[in-house]
Amino acid sequence: MRKRFVAFILVICIFCSVFAGGCIKRQKAPAAEGKSITIAIGSDTGSMDPAGSIALTFLSYSVSALDELLTFDENGNIEYRAAQSYEVNEEKTIWTFHLREEACWSDGSAVTAADFKNTIKRALDPKNGSGYVSYLFPIQNAEEIYNGELSYESLGVETPDEQTLVFYLEEPCAYFLDLLRLPVYMPSCEKYADSALSGWDKNPETSLTNGPFFLAEYEPKQYFVLKKNEKYWNTDEIHLDTIIYRFFDDQQSMANAYETKEVDVAVSLQSAVMELYEGKPDLLVTELIATRYIYLNLEAEPLDDVRVREALNLAIDRAELCKIVGKDVSPAYNLVANYMVNKNTGAYFVEEDKQPFQENKERARELLAEAGYPDGEGFPVLTYKYPALEMDSDTAQVIQEQLKQNLNIDIELKAQELQTNYADRHAKDFELCRMNWTADFADPYTYLSMLLSNNSYNCSHIQDEKYDALIRRSEMELDVNKRFQLLHEAEQYAVGEQFYIIPLYGMKSCNLVSRRITGIRQIPASGALEYRYADVTE
Amino acid sequence: MAVYTMKRITVGMISLFVLVTVTFFLTRMMPGSPFEDGNVSASVTEAMEEEYGLRDSPVKQYRTYMTNLLKGRLGVSYKQQGVTVESIIGNAAPVTASLGAAAVITAAVAGTGLGVWRAVSKKKTVRILLSGGTLLGAGIPNFVAALLLLLVFGVTLKWFPVTGLFTPAHYVLPVLSLSFYPTAVVAEMIYNTFAEEMKKEYVVLARAKGMGFWQIAVFHVLKNAWIPVLNYLGPLSAFLLTGSFAVESIFNIPGLGREFVSSVMNRDYTLIMGLTIFMGSVVIGVNLFTDLLCAWLDPRVRNSYLEKRWGD
Repeated sequence: MRKRFVAFILVICIFCSVFAGGCIKRQKAPAAEGKSITIAIGSDTGSMDPAGSIALTFLSYSVSALDELLTFDENGNIEYRAAQSYEVNEEKTIWTFHLREEACWSDGSAVTAADFKNTIKRALDPKNGSGYVSYLFPIQNAEEIYNGELSYESLGVETPDEQTLVFYLEEPCAYFLDLLRLPVYMPSCEKYADSALSGWDKNPETSLTNGPFFLAEYEPKQYFVLKKNEKYWNTDEIHLDTIIYRFFDDQQSMANAYETKEVDVAVSLQSAVMELYEGKPDLLVTELIATRYIYLNLEAEPLDDVRVREALNLAIDRAELCKIVGKDVSPAYNLVANYMVNKNTGAYFVEEDKQPFQENKERARELLAEAGYPDGEGFPVLTYKYPALEMDSDTAQVIQEQLKQNLNIDIELKAQELQTNYADRHAKDFELCRMNWTADFADPYTYLSMLLSNNSYNCSHIQDEKYDALIRRSEMELDVNKRFQLLHEAEQYAVGEQFYIIPLYGMKSCNLVSRRITGIRQIPASGALEYRYADVTE
Repeated sequence: MAVYTMKRITVGMISLFVLVTVTFFLTRMMPGSPFEDGNVSASVTEAMEEEYGLRDSPVKQYRTYMTNLLKGRLGVSYKQQGVTVESIIGNAAPVTASLGAAAVITAAVAGTGLGVWRAVSKKKTVRILLSGGTLLGAGIPNFVAALLLLLVFGVTLKWFPVTGLFTPAHYVLPVLSLSFYPTAVVAEMIYNTFAEEMKKEYVVLARAKGMGFWQIAVFHVLKNAWIPVLNYLGPLSAFLLTGSFAVESIFNIPGLGREFVSSVMNRDYTLIMGLTIFMGSVVIGVNLFTDLLCAWLDPRVRNSYLEKRWGD
C-alpha cells in the first residue's frame, strides 16, 4: 500500500516540477517606463536585419527605430532623415547623398556611408535571403553580383568619405527616391551587422539603431520593447519613452486584448470591428495601398480571346461584391491601387484618368456570343484558385454566382492553403487565380511593371510588345508629367483594352487606437501607422 | 521487467524512426516552398532554395538530414533566420508544459473531488447536477470552452487578462479551458469505480472495525479507484504537454501547438521535423512511463507482461 502512496506523490511531484519549471522559464512582462504605449501587431515573422528575410516584425520595428536616408510626408514633400541633402545628375543616373553629420547610432558612434553600403552588400548575398533584393537592381551591376556573375567590387555604390554615399544606376530611375524607404536601403551598423544568420539583429546589445528608438528587449513570439534613443539627432520631437509591440497570431485575440485594455493600439483587424466600433473615436480606418485582382492564364482557352476576358470583366458587379465582402473594401477598376497618390499632383493616380472600363452585363453577353459562346453555351468550366481565407472565399462565391447569373457560365472554385496558392501561381498552373499586391513603394511602377513580358510576377503569360514599349518609354522619360502620362496610357491599354486582369477591389485597414494617444501618423507609401512622433495624454 | 522495459524502448525508437522518415517525405511532397511569399519574386525564391539545398533530390536531402540528426543537430529554421530549431523548442516547450501540467493537476484534483462528491452525496439534486455537469464537460470541446470563458470572464466581466502568460492570473482562463474535458472524464471514472469499490468486502470489514467513512474513502477506496485514472492521465499528459493549438491561439500563448501549426503553414521543414521528433518522443516517453508505473503498482498488470515474455 505504501507503494501506491509513493507513486501518487511521485506523479504529483513530476507535474508540479514541470509546472514550476515552466513558470520560472515564463518570460517576464515587458517593462513599461515613462510615457509608454503598447501596440498589438501580427505574428512574429522574419528577421530584424534589413538585409535579411524580413516580414512584419521588421516593418513594425524599422518605422520607429531606423532612419532611412529620406522619406516623403503626406503632402509629397521630402523629409530628410539620415541624409541632410542630395543631388542628382541631369540623366538621373548618379545620385549623391550627404549624410547628417550629427547622426549617430544608439551606442553613440557615428553613422557612416559604409553602414548603408553594409546592408546593400549583405542583401546581394543570396545566403541572407532578402526578399527585397530586386529593388537594388537599378544599381550598376547589382543584379550580376546577386547572380554570382560579377564580384562585389564592381557594385555601383561608392563612399568617397564617411558622410557621402553615391549610387550609380544602370539607367535613369524616376522613382529612385521612393525606393529609399525599403529595407535594403536602410543602414546596418558595420561593427555588428555581419550576417542575417548570426543573430545580431535580435540581440539588444548588438542591434543598434539610428532612429528615435532603440531595441531594449526582444522576446521571441511575445513582444519587443523600444526605448527612446537619447542620442538621436532630433530628440526634441520625440515624446514617448517606451513603445511595446506585442505579437498576436489571431485578429480576434488582438481585438479582445484591446477590449480588456491590455494593448493601446490594435492594427489590421477584421472588418466586423468596423461595425462594432462605428461612431466611436477608437476606430481608425486607414487606406491601404493594395489591390485584389484575378490573374487570367492567357494560355488557357478561351482566356486567350480578349472578348472573353472583357466579358468576364464587364459581367462582375463590383459594388454588390464589396457589399457582401465587407465594409473595408471598395470596387476597383484599375491595377494600380485606388488609394495610391501621385505625389506631383496630390491626387489619387486612378482618378487622374478615365475608368478603364464600365461594367455592362448586356455588352458582356454580346461579347461572349461574339466569341462563340451565345448564352454561355459550350463555354468550358474554368477553375478559380484562391487562398482559403475568409475574404477570398466570400469573394469567390459571389463571383461564381454573378458569372452564372450574368453570363450563364460555370466556374469551379478551388480553395487552397496560402503556400499552395503561391506555388501554383508561380508555376503558372491555373486558369483563374487570385492575386493581391500591396505597394512596395509609392509609385505606380510597382504595379505596372508586374505585367511586363519578362517580369517574374507576370504569372499569366502576358507577352505584349506594345505594353513593354510603353513602360520602357516611361522608364527613360525624365519629365515627370510625361512619364505619368505614359503610365496612364499603359494602364488603360492593359486593363481597359486587353483586359489582362480582373480587378476586384481596393482595401482599407481597420485599427483601434486608444483615445489617450495623439500624434500617430500614416506612412503615405504603404498606409501603415507610424508612432515615432506620438504622445500620450493621461 | 528490465527485458520488458528494454523491449519497449526499442519499439519506441523504431516508431520514432518511422515517424521521422514518413514526416520527412510528406513535408517534401507538400506543394509550396518555405521561401515563397506574396511579394518575393520567383528568382529570389529559387536562389534561396538552391542555397539551402532544397533543389537536391529528396533522398539526398533525407540522407543529409539524418546524418545531422544522428549528430544531435536539428538544424536552423528556414523562416526564423539564424534561429536554431532547438532554441525554438526550448522557448515554446516550457510554456506549453507549465500550462499542460497545471491543467493535469486541476483535472486530477477537481475530477476526483467531484467524482467522490457525486458518489457519496445523498441529495438527489446534487447527483443530477453533477452528472449533468460531467456530461456537459465531456461534450464541450476545449476551444468552445476557451471562447466562452474568454467572453464571460475576460471581455465582459474583465476579471482575468486574456492574452499571454505573464502573471498567475493569466493562467486561470487557459488552464480552465484545457481542464474542462479531462476533469469531466476523471470525475466520471472516479464516480464509477468509487461506487463499486464501496460495495466490496474490505470496506465492510473496515467499517466493522470501526473506521470512519472518510477514513475508508480516502485511505482505502480512493487508492484503488485511482488506478484507472492513472492509466488515463498518461495519454492526457502526452496530449497536454504537446500543446493545444486552439487554446494557445485563442489566448495568444507562445507554445508548441501554435508553433507547430505555423511551421506547417510556412513550410518550415526543419522546424516541422524538430517538433515532430520532440512531440513523438514525449508521447512515447510518457506512455512508457505510465505503463511501467502501472506495472509496478498493480501485480496483475505486471504478471500479464511477464506471461507475455514467457509466451514468446
